[in-house]
Amino acid sequence: MKMKLLLTALTSLIGTAVFAEVPAVGSAAPDFSLPDASGKTHSLSQYKGKYVVLEWFNPECPFVKKHYGSSNMQNLQKEFTDKGVVWLTIDSNAPGTEGNLTPEGAQKIASSWKTHETALLLDPEGNAGRAYGSKNTPNMVIINPDGKVIYHGAIDSKATPNPSDIPSSTNYVKAALDQSLSGKSVATPETKPYGCSVKYKSS
Amino acid sequence: MLPNLMRIASRSSVYSLLCWLLIAVAPYGVAQTYQGKEIVKAELLADTTAIVPGKPFTVGLLLRMAPGWHTYWKFSGDAGLPTELKWTLPPGWKIGDIQWPIPLKTVDPGDIETYGYENEVLLMQEVTPPAKLDGSSAKLSTEASWLVCEKICIPGGKTLQLDLPVASTSQPTNTDVFARYRRLLPQNLPGPDVARADWSRVGSELRLKITSETLAKHPAVDFFPLPEQETIVGHPAVQSRNNNEIVFRIPFESAPKGLSSMAGLVVFAQQPNGDDRAAWQITSAPPVSGSRPAQAHGVLMFLLFGFLGGLILNLMPCVLPVISLKIFGFVQQAGQSRQKILRSGIAFTIGIFAWFIALAVLLIALKGAGRDVTWGGFQFTNPYFVLVLSVIVLVFALNLFGVFEISLPQSLTRSLLSTSDRKDLLGSFAQGVFATVLATPCTAPFLGTALGFAFTQSAVIILAMFIAVAAGMSAPYLLLSAQPAWLRFLPRPGLWMVHVKQFMGFLLLATLLFLLYVLGAERGLEGAIWASCFLLVISVACWMKGAFILPTASAIKRTIVVVLMLLLVIGSGVYFIGGKFQSAKIASAESQVRGDWQPFTPERLQNELEQGRTVFVDFTAAWCLTCKFNEASVLEAQDVREAFERHGIVKMKADWTNGDPVITKLLQHFGRPGVPLYVLYPAKNEEPIVFPEVLTKGMVLEKLESVASKVASQ
Repeated sequence: MKMKLLLTALTSLIGTAVFAEVPAVGSAAPDFSLPDASGKTHSLSQYKGKYVVLEWFNPECPFVKKHYGSSNMQNLQKEFTDKGVVWLTIDSNAPGTEGNLTPEGAQKIASSWKTHETALLLDPEGNAGRAYGSKNTPNMVIINPDGKVIYHGAIDSKATPNPSDIPSSTNYVKAALDQSLSGKSVATPETKPYGCSVKYKSS
Repeated sequence: MLPNLMRIASRSSVYSLLCWLLIAVAPYGVAQTYQGKEIVKAELLADTTAIVPGKPFTVGLLLRMAPGWHTYWKFSGDAGLPTELKWTLPPGWKIGDIQWPIPLKTVDPGDIETYGYENEVLLMQEVTPPAKLDGSSAKLSTEASWLVCEKICIPGGKTLQLDLPVASTSQPTNTDVFARYRRLLPQNLPGPDVARADWSRVGSELRLKITSETLAKHPAVDFFPLPEQETIVGHPAVQSRNNNEIVFRIPFESAPKGLSSMAGLVVFAQQPNGDDRAAWQITSAPPVSGSRPAQAHGVLMFLLFGFLGGLILNLMPCVLPVISLKIFGFVQQAGQSRQKILRSGIAFTIGIFAWFIALAVLLIALKGAGRDVTWGGFQFTNPYFVLVLSVIVLVFALNLFGVFEISLPQSLTRSLLSTSDRKDLLGSFAQGVFATVLATPCTAPFLGTALGFAFTQSAVIILAMFIAVAAGMSAPYLLLSAQPAWLRFLPRPGLWMVHVKQFMGFLLLATLLFLLYVLGAERGLEGAIWASCFLLVISVACWMKGAFILPTASAIKRTIVVVLMLLLVIGSGVYFIGGKFQSAKIASAESQVRGDWQPFTPERLQNELEQGRTVFVDFTAAWCLTCKFNEASVLEAQDVREAFERHGIVKMKADWTNGDPVITKLLQHFGRPGVPLYVLYPAKNEEPIVFPEVLTKGMVLEKLESVASKVASQ
């Protein structure tokens, strides 16, 4: 009986997924390995030597729809993937929650929304999301070729679900990438992200 | 929903009547639907039946949410968006901020914490109509927007209107709902006899300590933060809790430099999110933007002030003993060549300049590195600095008493014979440095504003400022050394010189007493005693030098004594200072404050102002003599004390003895490099009145009267 209790206690401890703090700007970005909609596995380490943008995604979230409906996100994705930046969109929502995508659903969204990311990765267990302390969609993390986090936070400066606010907002991701790609340091390396909460699997 | 009804309505007159009714009612209550279900119903309510011109009343946005759906608080937390109200008011109307009821805290998987409301919430605002109103009714319109989330989030919003008749009298209405949500509003932090809030900062975490008996009666206590725009706050957590005391740890990333406190609610209940929850509003310290404009004086004006301030420094009590040494030096030199005297005076001046310039460079470097620095006392906030000064002063005093003499070894003396005045020059230089070191905490009247201004300027101006002060301080000596004619007025050398020398020793001991007092204020009585033990050993070492290390003694004897002296000094240094003194705790500011003065914290200040009281804050430090002078001669004078009492002005002391960073920031905010600083806060939203560094009774009494009458007339 005692052994059973102990085992239960231990497994519940292990089962409680470790939720990490947001990695500090300048620290090493945690590695992860996730499948995309076609089943191919992508890991952060395979992209060492390139700039990588991580974008947490939820097609049902009005704040994500603000940027996709207006093509703001797709344009951003195209602009920087054309410059050799690797753009990984990640869905960390648990199965059964409205933001969760099956491989078919992911392919459908990508084609109907005409997205330009390098890959749309499925993280239903929420491991990558938790490793990055990602709490919102959209949440943006930019990693430089040395594997260090150079930006984390909101996509832009106006925390609203209105597409009409996009032209007058400062796009922090574009600014950080433009600055870093031209050898300058990032002026605003961290901001508070806004958006819906990521729907993690209950532990 | 409406389109369907419209179709039905077109089929039947009954339904068309219903339709019209709905349209008529629609501006007052609108539903947000999702997948055919109503998830939020929004309504605008007033707590009065009619608008009486000039009489404030309360309006409220009533949001009724379907089960499981949440809207958000003023600070939504990790996700979500606070509800917003954009009002369109007729001219002359005023509306206050949203009064947010205490929210519920929700923790979702992934450690996502949000603050918001479920089922129902009333967001109230106070409306003040103008004193004169035309028309028989008035319409207030608002654009309400919110985010409501369950498993997904949906933004919602609607334009709502309130049409109320204008009348000379009115009756309260909707009393239940308003009362229910008024009960859920946070209260101001009660006075210090009920609750105390103390902030501190540990690296990238703020610590909030709440001390109150009320807490002991509530098992669930939490802190809901209300960070400023630029601050990204983590999840507050309870660091420790015992009896009446609870400490919250509030981590943050990316905050303005020098963040020392944060607004928020201390929420207490029998259970988390209980219906019985109550909260105290914690406000952050008064804003300390570095851009507060210092007085508009030209740079030259300030340099002039610096020069004058330097001159006046010579009269400061802490500098006087060294001045006496210097004047004595001049007396001794009276018979010597003009050249020598001049060179000696120049060496003294260079000593003064050297220290000031070194200080300026150090401060510029520190400022560049982003550290909070102020001049004129911050050195004295470090007890080890005071300790070193004490040792120097004691050794000098013992030398003046004749306990030991400073003489160079024979070999050195022989090689220096050709330039025998070099020793005098070095001595003069050292005296210059020493005089300046002792002068730094005594910020003279002109020096205060001048340095405060300099600190907001570039490195060049800071350097120029310090040079101006150095010039002012050294001017008298340069003049004296250049005009040997004046030295004729000084008497001829004689036995009297020995007596004067010994008397000066006592002056230095007086300075030592002052330094020990400062040490006591900083490290308590124990610290002062341990420091005194060390000083006693130093005295013995000096005696040993004087008694045994003589040119006539043998080399072996001298070496043994030197070794013994070193052992004594180092050993006692390690034991008394490294061990005992270091572990003496920093004396708490509470114990320093006596009488009807309260210890200052930004919390207490804000709280008193919220309660409509006028507050006078005295920024002082144990080592600040100008402060003591002001306190003794003006602030504690009978008629001034009576004036404070009569007008019910709260007196607070901000003790900067140990260099409290919160106080440092405030000093910088007011453009002052150090204490003293006297600020009168007349009322909550009024500009504070800053007094000059030297107070007079007339000035204080006059200001108190004018502020009191102004406040009374409001």
